[in-house]
Amino acid sequence: MIKAVTLEFFKLRRKKIFLMITLFLGFEILWAFMSVSISLSRNPNSPVWESILTTTASMNGLFLPIICAIVSSRICDMENKGNTWKLLISSNMNRKSIYASKYLCSCTLLLYGIVLQAFAITVFGIVKSSTGMLPLSLITRFIGGAMLASMIILALQQWITLAIKNQAFALCFGMIGGFLGMTAYFFPETVRRIIIWSYYTELCPIKYHVTNGSLEFIKQNPGIGMLTTAFLLVIFFYMSGNYHFSRQEV
Amino acid sequence: MNTIVSTHNLSKYFNGICRVNEVNLTVYKGDIYGFLGPNGAGKSTTLKMLLGLVKPTKGDVIIFGKKFNKNRQSILSQTGSLIESPSYYGHLTGLENMRILQRLRNVSNKKVQEALHIVRLEKQQNKQVKHYSLGMKQRLGIAMALINFPKLLILDEPTNGLDPNGIREIRELIKSLPQRYGTTVLISTHLLSEIEQMATSVGIINDGKLLFQGDINLLKAKSKSYISIKTQNNKLAKKILLAEGYELKQNNDRLIFENLPDAHIAYLNKLLIGQGIDVIRIEEHRKSLEDIFLELTGRERSL
Repeated sequence: MIKAVTLEFFKLRRKKIFLMITLFLGFEILWAFMSVSISLSRNPNSPVWESILTTTASMNGLFLPIICAIVSSRICDMENKGNTWKLLISSNMNRKSIYASKYLCSCTLLLYGIVLQAFAITVFGIVKSSTGMLPLSLITRFIGGAMLASMIILALQQWITLAIKNQAFALCFGMIGGFLGMTAYFFPETVRRIIIWSYYTELCPIKYHVTNGSLEFIKQNPGIGMLTTAFLLVIFFYMSGNYHFSRQEV
Repeated sequence: MNTIVSTHNLSKYFNGICRVNEVNLTVYKGDIYGFLGPNGAGKSTTLKMLLGLVKPTKGDVIIFGKKFNKNRQSILSQTGSLIESPSYYGHLTGLENMRILQRLRNVSNKKVQEALHIVRLEKQQNKQVKHYSLGMKQRLGIAMALINFPKLLILDEPTNGLDPNGIREIRELIKSLPQRYGTTVLISTHLLSEIEQMATSVGIINDGKLLFQGDINLLKAKSKSYISIKTQNNKLAKKILLAEGYELKQNNDRLIFENLPDAHIAYLNKLLIGQGIDVIRIEEHRKSLEDIFLELTGRERSL
């Protein structure tokens, strides 16, 4: 499997996918930092770490589904474009390992983006925070939550990308997901559970409430139910996509 | 003889329409098996079933004496293929494309270079494949199929897009494979001339049915010559010649004789003139492979 995953990275040469992720997330981070900086200058008593984590998690709802759609599309569509499915399958690679290697490659790329984001948040937090203390647990849980949400979306995106060859559909689907992810806060909690793109905020260790016109940050622990739902969704989308792909003829 | 590929009642239906109908293919070791048929006859679908790219609706595929569905890995590790258009990653160079196959097939650098050398792509190996011409892409596809110098090579229309010189080179390469590397080649094409020049065995498929299979010489034997004679009075001429014991058929305004020696031709000419019947034409005809092919597949279909 490691060989298959490294082969996927080899195939991504000249695709500039790392650059694309870095620039895309760099833009998001700059936006989040500017927003938090303005907010902190107006309310100097606001907690720095909580502010930056919730703002980034909420923006991730918009940006990461789009990145997931692009990454998935890039990794899968190069096989459609070059007519290489039959090359891979007739070269003794089974469909399950092709599917798994593509998924693992996408997850690794997203993990790179999320870790990069967490690093930028850490630097920002240390610079802006008066205590300078690093809340390692919050940062780790932020990475874990964002990664789990991305894994659900990537599993769904890969299924769609391989089922429908026209990549415009998969990309539009990702953008609609991003829009829903961004606006998830406006929906009641039960509805948010159905909207998988809202899981970036649902799985973030901090959430906020607006009380009497001011923001109140609350620590949230996604319960066993929430985590189980998230993992089951990953398994469901992955298995369904894998089943569909393994039955396709090339 | 050692059978490398055999299929038993291999059939494929797409949406209820039969594309391959109970095909029993037999390819022997060291053969260059020409799989011939008009466009849409079912050649590619059959070859895809041999490689596990398409699941048969009915029937079995046996390669190297093993059932394909139970021994997929071991069979594919000894098989090279190029199906329909060449497969490639356009953003990678020719060499990088070969490296992907190298990793999948676990072969040495030497074999990569040898395969590139065979198809004359060494000088272009560092160029991105999207900048290759169609012929170069086709040659890269052949190099990828050859990378592990397989026991069985399955090529579907490998000369598509090649110029006459390239076609000749690939033909010579394919002809040399059984002797040089012990490779058995199964090659499909709709170009009869290609098969005529390189195949040792032939299978002809049309509308999903295998119409002929066997040694190319068996097919060539069908191209026996015949003599046609046109006279001013065919009715009378036929009566006289039948009375003389000749076996003949009348086809439009010609009398047709099969297996007629030269001496008999001269004799019957004299005989007819002696009976006052003018002989207008005596012609020798030989059925080409194309005629036989068209007879088998139906003349109304284009190749």
